[in-house]
Amino acid sequence: MFESLNDPVDVLTAFVDGAMRPLRFRWQGRVIRVKKVTGRWTRREGQTLVQCFSVEGGGAETYELHYDPRGPRWVLSRAWTG
Amino acid sequence: MILLADMDAFFASVEQAHHPHLRGQPVIVCGDPGRRGVVTAASYEARPTGVRAGMPLAEARRLCPDAHYVSGNPEKYVALSLRLLEFYLTFTPDVEPFSVDEAFLAVGRIGGTLAEAAEIAARIQSGIRERFALPASIGVGPNKLIAKMASGVAKPSGLTMLDVESFRAHFWPQPARELWGIGPQLEERLTALGVRTMGDLARHSPEILKGAFGVIGPQLREAANGHDETPLIPYHQGVEPKSMGHEVTLPADSHDPVALEGTLLRLSDQVARRLRGEGYMGRTVALKLRDFRFTTHIRQRSRIAPTADHAQIFALARDLWRELWDGEPVRLIGVTVAGLTKVHASDQGELFTSGERGARLREAVDRVRDRLGEASVVPAGTLGHHTELGHVPFGAVSPRAPKPRRKP
Repeated sequence: MFESLNDPVDVLTAFVDGAMRPLRFRWQGRVIRVKKVTGRWTRREGQTLVQCFSVEGGGAETYELHYDPRGPRWVLSRAWTG
Repeated sequence: MILLADMDAFFASVEQAHHPHLRGQPVIVCGDPGRRGVVTAASYEARPTGVRAGMPLAEARRLCPDAHYVSGNPEKYVALSLRLLEFYLTFTPDVEPFSVDEAFLAVGRIGGTLAEAAEIAARIQSGIRERFALPASIGVGPNKLIAKMASGVAKPSGLTMLDVESFRAHFWPQPARELWGIGPQLEERLTALGVRTMGDLARHSPEILKGAFGVIGPQLREAANGHDETPLIPYHQGVEPKSMGHEVTLPADSHDPVALEGTLLRLSDQVARRLRGEGYMGRTVALKLRDFRFTTHIRQRSRIAPTADHAQIFALARDLWRELWDGEPVRLIGVTVAGLTKVHASDQGELFTSGERGARLREAVDRVRDRLGEASVVPAGTLGHHTELGHVPFGAVSPRAPKPRRKP
């Protein structure tokens, strides 16, 4: 089942053609490689546009990562780890 | 020609697209799966068990205990819906959003054929699948009514084109309730007239229908014949909203009058904020109340002057609430404002003279919310009686809102 987390995480990020893409992130002492970005959307909080990504990890697990430019900071919002 | 692109089980399909382990599995999108509420969307894998949108979550769990229950994310679905609209606009400038998961498109040249339009529909359908990994059903027809009804013929991932003749051949043997716009009450009244199928309705006397239903009677007959002249209103021209509202299913049935009126105030504030944000005022306030037996009561009242002030909306909603509520436990509360009029600069002047201090306060609060998010400032009366500020479906409140302080 999905676990709601909102954990701050370190994310290695690439900027390609003006768009950002999470490549790897560190969570619970592990480095998780992003195999595929399966979805992206934005969420507005006042004047701030938070970038949201759903990503597939190395196995069957999936995660939702949010980038808040006010920090700037990355947050792991949800995880499904089987 | 008109297309109706309808995303199949949209919210559930988005979750399946974003979380590949859910693909091919029964998925039920709801509020918080840990709390009670209703089913927002069910994937096609869940539907054979009888689970439907709007069903209480407890009933869904009985019918489909092995489904994945996923907390919905309205902002994500709205964002995707807007991207879908952008995609449709690459095919035609004439796109009319019909709901978060449906849009009408006018395609092809004037006098073009159904087959030409269906070719465009097939390209749109495969584009949606490739770009968004989402299934869509598309109906093609000479008007909005036929396109809409064709879209439901072969779901999911269907592509159905119907002209007037094939519309009649397909739908006339079907029950009258299958016609777009006919609900259970209308169906009952049609049955009393001896109208059981859509074909019966199409052939019925327009005079008798007018006598029974007024102007809508002959319109229903025209629709059953596949005739519809409703214009497509392109996205860029905008569609004037008729009403704006918010509702919330409470975490548990409640008969605490203070908590319930606090919820009513929060809903009134959210509706007022949306009205002001989109430049509207409204005259009619409607209160919706669903009790613990799942019976829904709606009552509404109109003001003399339109308003977008949360205090005035709340005052009317609270009057309706106090008249309607019999003290029984409540499951859901909703507040809607209708009879909307666009606010012009001259109207604002009038508003300010009637309560300049209040208007300035609202302006200041709106500026803070625009900058910092919806939950940065909330009426004090909404705090202290609930724990989750974010628990309003499609409510624009920030999850970063500070938790209300509890009394020691």
